[in-house]
Amino acid sequence: MKILVINSGSSSIKYQLFNMETSEVLAKGLVDKIGLNGSYLKNERLDGDKVKLEGNIYDHQNGIEYVLGVLISDKHGSLKSLDDIDAVGHRVVHGGEAFNDSVMITDEMISKMEELIELAPLHNPPNLKGIYAVTGLMPNIPQVGVFDTAFHQTMDPHSFMYAIPYSLYTKYGIRRYGFHGTSHRYVSNRVAELMNKDIKDLKIISCHLGNGASIAAIKHGKSVDTSMGLTPVEGLMMGTRTGDLDVGALTFIMSKEVIGIDATNTLLNKHSGVLGVSGVSSDMREVEDAAKAGNERALLALDMYQYRVKKYIGSYTAAMGGVDVIIFTGGIGENAVEIRENIVSNFEYLGLEFDNSKNKGVRAVEKELTKDSSKVKVWIVPTDEELVIARDTYEIVKAM
Amino acid sequence: MKEKLEDYALSKSAQKQSDGIKVGLVGCGSMGQEIAVLVSKSGIELTFIEVSEKRIANAFMKMEEQIEEVISHWGMTSGDKRAIMSRINGSTNYEDLADCNIVIEAINTKKWVPNQPVRKEVFKKIEKVVSSDCVIISNASTIVISDLAVVLKRPCRAVGVHFLSPVLATKIIEVNRCISTNDEAIEKVYRFARMIGKDIIKVYGSPGNISTRLIVPMINEACGLLMEGVSTVEEIDKTMKIGYGMLRGPFSMADRIGLDKLTKWMEGLYNEYGDIRYKTSPLIRRMVRAGMLGRKSGEGFYYYENGKKIQKTGSLFNLGHKQKLF
Repeated sequence: MKILVINSGSSSIKYQLFNMETSEVLAKGLVDKIGLNGSYLKNERLDGDKVKLEGNIYDHQNGIEYVLGVLISDKHGSLKSLDDIDAVGHRVVHGGEAFNDSVMITDEMISKMEELIELAPLHNPPNLKGIYAVTGLMPNIPQVGVFDTAFHQTMDPHSFMYAIPYSLYTKYGIRRYGFHGTSHRYVSNRVAELMNKDIKDLKIISCHLGNGASIAAIKHGKSVDTSMGLTPVEGLMMGTRTGDLDVGALTFIMSKEVIGIDATNTLLNKHSGVLGVSGVSSDMREVEDAAKAGNERALLALDMYQYRVKKYIGSYTAAMGGVDVIIFTGGIGENAVEIRENIVSNFEYLGLEFDNSKNKGVRAVEKELTKDSSKVKVWIVPTDEELVIARDTYEIVKAM
Repeated sequence: MKEKLEDYALSKSAQKQSDGIKVGLVGCGSMGQEIAVLVSKSGIELTFIEVSEKRIANAFMKMEEQIEEVISHWGMTSGDKRAIMSRINGSTNYEDLADCNIVIEAINTKKWVPNQPVRKEVFKKIEKVVSSDCVIISNASTIVISDLAVVLKRPCRAVGVHFLSPVLATKIIEVNRCISTNDEAIEKVYRFARMIGKDIIKVYGSPGNISTRLIVPMINEACGLLMEGVSTVEEIDKTMKIGYGMLRGPFSMADRIGLDKLTKWMEGLYNEYGDIRYKTSPLIRRMVRAGMLGRKSGEGFYYYENGKKIQKTGSLFNLGHKQKLF
């Protein structure tokens, strides 16, 4: 079965074409700058053939038409015809309380997703555009939606509720949903496989540290808490997002700076985090370099970043009554050697014995980083959200 | 040979350019600059026409300053600024508007003159270079779009669109169609409005639309209250702000619009309707003569220092101003 996975963003579409029988990625690529100047499509085929095509891409439907055009082309294609695609899987950011698992996309499901736009006005509309486009171009193909929030729907009310008037939850659905669920689900299952253990026997803390970052407490295979909330702003300090912030400070800032909702959103989402504190960059590599060169604010940003992750690991250990394995994933989690080391330092009281020699120079591979005698294990597991989407799509379509 | 993306289209529909909008702008003064930044921020390429290279350079400088101001109030990032500026081109040659499918006239005339000959000339020049389906828009707020449409060979493409300042923040635009405007042109403008994130207020053939017709009498009446000694600038503003939940009182609003621009609006509406409500208040006339134009000149009904509004003290006849009127 061949499955096309689509991750449709505001001005970009990422895609991967899987052959589920051979577990191969037949082709992958990116359509970028949709509706803007300089739009292009990049495609890479399994055999290494690479192409970048520049031209006008006016909207998402137009972009997906070109993706399909390239996939069936003689020169750069991986398929004979569109009929060779058996199903399409879509990433959908917010599933609200309506979706606690991946679903076959029907008109009814689309209506439900449209109702959720209010909760994720930046993310869900482009996801839906991808679905509309595929529906328009291949009306009969089965499509599956895989939600970032679904994995965290197992959280108990005491984890997901905010201490605000209950009526605001019932009226608007204001609660913690959490994101990066597909990633947390993949790495936690994968680490159990790698450790040869049943995930139901493990207490896992999964740290997805990328430009956006979240951490999840996964007890016996179920998410019991996660750091992101109603929106992705809550929790860890991120590249340009604040993470946790006293809401009193926020209303104070709004009053002092005389700013409205739009500017406040930009302040919280784009001017803050590692960039806002360091004044250097949102790219952790640049901030690490600046810190090494003696930039005090870069050093402060790094210290804050690491401290916040450490604090969450501590609180999730308490929440689960212990921890068996801590996972690092995402661009920073997989590649930033010193940040990993600093985060898990001083965890000896938990029985964690970190092995610096195993950590040194390790980037983006599946590897255990603790000593054999360590009670708590630390692993790097590179994430693969597209694979999860493809697998879910496969399972749902197979069961049809 | 470099491969073309178009060669990989699934069907001809993928090659259609129906969703591509390129915008032209004639006149890049303060209003034009705000419009250019808004359009480009929405991901649309824009070419503006100015009368000299010097004015083009000045427009670019002012637009950068405008964005910097927004960044300093956390509303955008420097990445946004780079993206916005990269989509704006300036030219002195109308031919550079040839591939635009919407062209906006936003020229800044020194004073209101009957019959709008300069704007008419601009409309003719635009029509000479653009394609037959290009929509031509005027941003003038106190004239009837029909008066400009008559000079076009295809008057059905003329639409009045009033952008309200501050253009980036104000969520509405007034779209004024005239008798000759056809549905195709108006649909294109509606789509453009959605792309730039504005709600449309539909207006039919009325000079001054809704906004200008309502704000002008209020400011005139506020001047009347002041001249009668009923109350002070601050208290009149405070009454309307707090009492009626307005974002700004009439004097703050007048200073923000610019008293010279306000005078043009008033003259335009008075000329059209002949109603005393629109006749420029003598107080505003006196202030304009003295160069007290509001925020942009640093002094109007308030003082402005480093962008901050400072209340004046003193009687009506000196208004607490630095320059004496009499």
